[in-house]
Amino acid sequence: MQPNLLRRAQKLTHRPAFWGFLFISPWLIGFLIFTAGPMLTSLYLSFHKYDLSSITYVGGENYRRLLVEDPLFWKALKNTLFYASVSVPLGISASLAIALLLNQNVKGLKLFRTCFYLPSLVPSVAAALVWEWVFNSDNGILNTSLRMIGVTGPQWLQDERATPWAFAMMSLWGVGGARMVIFLAGLQGIPDSYYEAAKLDGASGWKCFRNVTLPMLSPVMFFNLVLGIIGSFQVFTSAYVMTGGGPNHASLFYALYLFQNAFEYLKLGKASAMAWILFSILLVLTYIQFRTSKRWVYYEGGDK
Amino acid sequence: MLKPVSRTIRWALLAAVCLALGCRPDPNASKVQLRYMAWGNPEQMELEEKLCEEFNAQNPDIHVKFFKVPAAEYGLKMMLMLASHSAPDVMRVDHYNFPSLVAKGYFYDLTDLAAKDKTFKRSDFFPQAIEECEYKGRLFGLNVLFGGDLIYYNKSMFREAGLEDPAEMARKGQWTWDKFRECAIKMTRKESDGHYKQFGFGAPSSSSTFPILASAIWGYGGDMLDKQLKHAVFDQPGAVKAFQMIADFRWKDHCSPTQAQGANSLFTFESGKLGMVFEFMGMTPRYRKTIHKFQWDVCPVPRGPFGNTTLCKGNQLVIYRETTHPSEAWRFERFITSQSTEEELYVKLRRCFPTRKAMAYSPEYLQTKLPPYNNWAFVDAVEHSRPLPINNRWSEWMQEFGSEIDNLMAGRERDAATVLKRAKVKVDKVLADEAGF
Repeated sequence: MQPNLLRRAQKLTHRPAFWGFLFISPWLIGFLIFTAGPMLTSLYLSFHKYDLSSITYVGGENYRRLLVEDPLFWKALKNTLFYASVSVPLGISASLAIALLLNQNVKGLKLFRTCFYLPSLVPSVAAALVWEWVFNSDNGILNTSLRMIGVTGPQWLQDERATPWAFAMMSLWGVGGARMVIFLAGLQGIPDSYYEAAKLDGASGWKCFRNVTLPMLSPVMFFNLVLGIIGSFQVFTSAYVMTGGGPNHASLFYALYLFQNAFEYLKLGKASAMAWILFSILLVLTYIQFRTSKRWVYYEGGDK
Repeated sequence: MLKPVSRTIRWALLAAVCLALGCRPDPNASKVQLRYMAWGNPEQMELEEKLCEEFNAQNPDIHVKFFKVPAAEYGLKMMLMLASHSAPDVMRVDHYNFPSLVAKGYFYDLTDLAAKDKTFKRSDFFPQAIEECEYKGRLFGLNVLFGGDLIYYNKSMFREAGLEDPAEMARKGQWTWDKFRECAIKMTRKESDGHYKQFGFGAPSSSSTFPILASAIWGYGGDMLDKQLKHAVFDQPGAVKAFQMIADFRWKDHCSPTQAQGANSLFTFESGKLGMVFEFMGMTPRYRKTIHKFQWDVCPVPRGPFGNTTLCKGNQLVIYRETTHPSEAWRFERFITSQSTEEELYVKLRRCFPTRKAMAYSPEYLQTKLPPYNNWAFVDAVEHSRPLPINNRWSEWMQEFGSEIDNLMAGRERDAATVLKRAKVKVDKVLADEAGF
């Protein structure tokens, strides 16, 4: 028995997978306990009415009420979709633009890179407070500047027509962060020889960008797009700090409404159902992106 | 040869560490252990820490361990502890959360402990302070940091505008909402460039307007919810009149800063740029510390056709239902709310208002060497006070209600009746809905 067991153990240690699992085990155990566990629990809770003190099975009632009876759910979803559709393209173009600028060979490049990266290091609550000041309709820097050129700015955070745009604008705050760094890394991975070849063929700056930079960056772009969309659906802190979802629920984003249901009204079943609906939406969106990516993402050395 | 030695040493070290950490005799081990949880600003925490130490010194059979939780996390932390059966023996609960938690049966029924305690006499206390701690006729807490809402006013600004002192007017029964409006308008001043220099009155931003509105609503004979707290009644004429008036202070009379004007604390009472603010009584220590440039005092809320009722609210000191030491926890609660503690906290330091009538009427409370001097106004406010209509759906319906009131206070809409009618539909829907969904 003993030698048999030993042999089996030896056999196990000879398999590369064993070592792989062994080395990732700290993460794996953490994932199972702190991510997969709570996820399954929330799936279970989404079919229950749960307020921390009593729990009753209600079947799909939480889902039905959300989809059929809750106007705020749809409002929050609409707000979030708008935010995502504006902030993702805007953010990605801005990040790419900054990355392109910071990829130039100019004096003080390191200083510029640091400066552009700095805003993303500011804690999001602090940034939200700064933006609250920027958006102040009477004394804010934005409307004061607009006034100088003779334009009366809107009441950014008090007018429900302006508020969604204010939040979309605010999403630009983090464009110099991780996403820009990824673009920068992508840019530096493009061999100079491609540009040289293009130039020899007479390509202008724009043509180089269009036909060399963009295709070569497309995997990075794809990565940023997937993460950007997921991130934008989770927008929370700015609205939580600045408006609490107002005015008239104009900044009630999905994650904020979920948070309110879970931790302010203690409707944990409803909140769990919301989380799973969000998960399904993101799953579908990501799937679509992966399917369509074959048409526009170019992997060097691989099939198009 | 080396190996076994080092292994021995390793084991010895481990044992030594274990001994040092775990087996050290705890001087409090033989005592009854109580855990007490609360939140507050640093001064409050320091005071409560001191109270716990005093209690431990005076009661050698009990050891209270005090732990502080930041205010922002407190509610959630407490609820999670209650849900996971690990709540502390004694907790301080804000009254906003008390009704929903007591309904879930989390708190120990103190009625019998109070009845057995010869030193606890209900008649000693302001009835409002006791009623707030009751649920279905049973006592579930003792009130701390109790008090009402009243007006803090800039005495110097009143004088400069040539206005009669509001406390004097109140004493003569002339301090009405009309007078209030007149004073607020007269104290509002503009700079030569058209920017406002000071406002007569600071109405807080929408989400927290309610305390002020409560006294206006009641003053005009209206109310928020019906007696059973099941339906909204704020669409009735009295409440509509009150809401319209407060919104008009801002948008018609321009005697109160808008949200944008008042942002970044541009207009605060402490900076001397506001003539009057509605505040809880606990603001006194802070104003005493920060205001040196002008004279200030307190006066009752203005009188409407139906009187000058204000709101009162406190925190409840509760005992966890699953505690194994209810009578020791009761002794601790009684200590924290004892006469001498109240004297220190509320008479000397003015952190809030004493729950004992005799103490509020004592010369030590009424006559002070530091402002505010009209201390009778505090007593008057509590005597004329009512609790807020807080039920177990408070946060939900306040969210709906606040969002509609914001339309009015932010000036997007000007007609209170329309806004309140819409708000009633939404709030009634929340109140009629099954809880928990």
